[in-house]
Amino acid sequence: MQKLRFSPRWLLLVLTATLTVACAGQAAPRLPGELAWTIGSDPKTFDPAKVDDQWSEQIRYLTGGVLLRFNRLSQSVEPQLAESWKLSADGKTVTFKLRRGLEFSDGSGLTAKDAAWSIRRVLLPATGSPVAEEFLSPAGVTVETPDERTVVVNLPKRVIGIGKVFDEIAIEPAERSSEGRVTAGPFVVSEYRRSQYVRLRRNAHYLGRDSSGVALPYATGVRLDVLANSEQVTRLFERGEYDVINYLPPDYFELLKQKDPGAVRDLGPSLNTEQLWFNQVPGAALPAWEKSWFQSQAFRVAVSRAIHRADLARIAYEGHATPAYSFMSPANGVWYDNELKVPKEDVGAAKAGLAQAGFRLKGSVLEDAAGHAVRFSILTNATNAARQKMATLIQQDLKALGMDVTVVALDFPALIERLMHTQDYEACLLGLENVDPDPNAMMNIWLSSSANHQWNPSQKTPATGWEAEIDRAMGVQASSLKQAERKQAMDRVEQIVADQQPFIYLVYPNALHAVSARLEGVQPAVLEPGLFWNVERLRLRGAR
Amino acid sequence: MRLRAVATGLLAGLCVVSAGILIAPGSSYSNQDRGQLFAGATAAHPAGTDALGRDRMVRVAAAFLLSMAGATLAAAATTAAAAGVGLLAAFSPAYVSGFVLLICDAFLALPWLFLLMMVRSLLPLTTSPANSAAVTFFVLAALGWPACARAVYRGALGLKNAEWMLQARAGGLRGRQIAGYVLPNLAPLLMPQFLVSVPAFVIAEANLGALGLGIGEPLPSWGGMLLELENSATLLRTPWVYLPIALLVLVLLLLEAATQEV
Repeated sequence: MQKLRFSPRWLLLVLTATLTVACAGQAAPRLPGELAWTIGSDPKTFDPAKVDDQWSEQIRYLTGGVLLRFNRLSQSVEPQLAESWKLSADGKTVTFKLRRGLEFSDGSGLTAKDAAWSIRRVLLPATGSPVAEEFLSPAGVTVETPDERTVVVNLPKRVIGIGKVFDEIAIEPAERSSEGRVTAGPFVVSEYRRSQYVRLRRNAHYLGRDSSGVALPYATGVRLDVLANSEQVTRLFERGEYDVINYLPPDYFELLKQKDPGAVRDLGPSLNTEQLWFNQVPGAALPAWEKSWFQSQAFRVAVSRAIHRADLARIAYEGHATPAYSFMSPANGVWYDNELKVPKEDVGAAKAGLAQAGFRLKGSVLEDAAGHAVRFSILTNATNAARQKMATLIQQDLKALGMDVTVVALDFPALIERLMHTQDYEACLLGLENVDPDPNAMMNIWLSSSANHQWNPSQKTPATGWEAEIDRAMGVQASSLKQAERKQAMDRVEQIVADQQPFIYLVYPNALHAVSARLEGVQPAVLEPGLFWNVERLRLRGAR
Repeated sequence: MRLRAVATGLLAGLCVVSAGILIAPGSSYSNQDRGQLFAGATAAHPAGTDALGRDRMVRVAAAFLLSMAGATLAAAATTAAAAGVGLLAAFSPAYVSGFVLLICDAFLALPWLFLLMMVRSLLPLTTSPANSAAVTFFVLAALGWPACARAVYRGALGLKNAEWMLQARAGGLRGRQIAGYVLPNLAPLLMPQFLVSVPAFVIAEANLGALGLGIGEPLPSWGGMLLELENSATLLRTPWVYLPIALLVLVLLLLEAATQEV
């Protein structure tokens, strides 16, 4: 029989393993006064005009100097590089007056010429900036610079919430775009190691000062580690490697709460929604009878009535979500409709509705009028545990109606391929992130002509009367100068969606965050970027 | 020999107990007791419940039987295929033998994980969980035979050149009769190959489940249940989350013990 002996080789192995575990996640040592948190993947670009993904957008937020900043807490637009701004009475001319003495991070002066160049660059089709679409007709927009401190933007037609659009346009030095290396924001990109980290350092020329006259930002820099695994992120946060976790999964929220209740923040319902929808594309490769189920209002309403949303919130989100019946979250105070009439949970009414629509129960199996058993699959993404739990809960809820549901979890690219290109799916459970409380940002979802009108995208003419009505109401909210009229139009859209259930809303996930006790200045906001929307005022305790 | 008998007896006992749990009145692996999430042991749920309130003991019993049945069938299929291919290669002309072995090598070189992912993504979305389980084990069997076939080939080659075989062939033994004489002599080689394949397939299914490529919900699979262990938040809820991994280790040890003395 062999005995295990602690030879030097064994000791070396154990030591190496211990060191490996101890150093896991330490992509680079933290510099004095530097903040640290994680991003889920490498940013696709550092060019602020070409930002098209969440992580690039975060880099742009932290580095880009903008004319106007949308305050995530007060939900109002505030001047940043601009000293003041003015919108003409017809809403077609925006005039900015820049602050005096503005400088880029390299010490060069920032003038109206730089601002105009940056805006024009975003508008150019060659740049391919997603922000350009928000101007509605980017080709018709002109930018003038009457003097060194004045920028005038002329719009061919009025754009609702135009101020917020300038929150997404980082001002760069004219003719020398630097991919975040020369900025007018609080930080500049100083180092990037693919799949490891992005390091930002403080912009010493940043214009901001606090009420005591101390130059902002307080922190000397930010290190953003590329790490997607929630397990590792939570463990490293507990060890003090990271200062915040933005949008924490509910199970890890509970884990951290058990260990340190003061470290976690539940801000209540976010603007985001989780929803289920059926494929209503006429050309989809589905049997005709399935298409007729999915296009039936009675079928969709019955499914909606059979789903126990309170269970979804309690079980899949551990209570950190709110049952949802509409796309407007209660967090969206201005636009939320308290008087919305929605089909509430009622399995009896669901069965009656199905019977009226010609469905009947044969034993425990629901069949349509032609005798086809109601059997379909729900797609969701494999990496989201909460969605998979919701799909399995819905699977059991719909069994009460006699529906046989298969849950299919696919990796995200395969899922998107089916949704956007092949349209080869029956039902899908996914979420929608709403970064803007104004419904104008939802035009791409609700217009029947939009590619993101998920249940039946890119329609040449509205397929149904109620979709045509949604199109009209969205047009009213996008063009009306009266807030009351806009609200009325959106209330109508909400009511049509509640009646027709093209999206069966399930829950509003809560905004869950974790903050280190060492971090000062945190004012958590429901809107993205959540914990660090006021990054220039964040600092580690004791770091001055 | 005694150890093998004990291990086999224990495995058989586990199968009987699991079957008993499954067919007991009121037992369901999919029923969600939504008031009892991550519950500890109670009279209603002797091994507690999972995140959706499903009875953990019933689910573990179902996963055990499913894995054992699937892995045993897949191992039998892969051993039979390996025996056929090995014999064909050993008793065929050199060019056929070379071609067959080339196919074996090509199969061995396949990136099986990607192949499995591809096959799974080609399945219709409405494939029932039972069918997805059958396909998973079928694919495992289809990919598991080449290594075993090479071993059979070496064994069969030895028999081909044995004096009794030369004498039998000189005496007029026909090609189709060869298998009948050779296979019983290859049994000491085939039996361990079969027994080694069973735990290998149990682990392969568990790995696929842990990658999200296994058997569809609500059918329980070992891999699917092991997924719970990747989340440290879950581990603190109840010690019963360790039941599937504990049983998997026990079954693998028993299978190893049953294999050892052959």
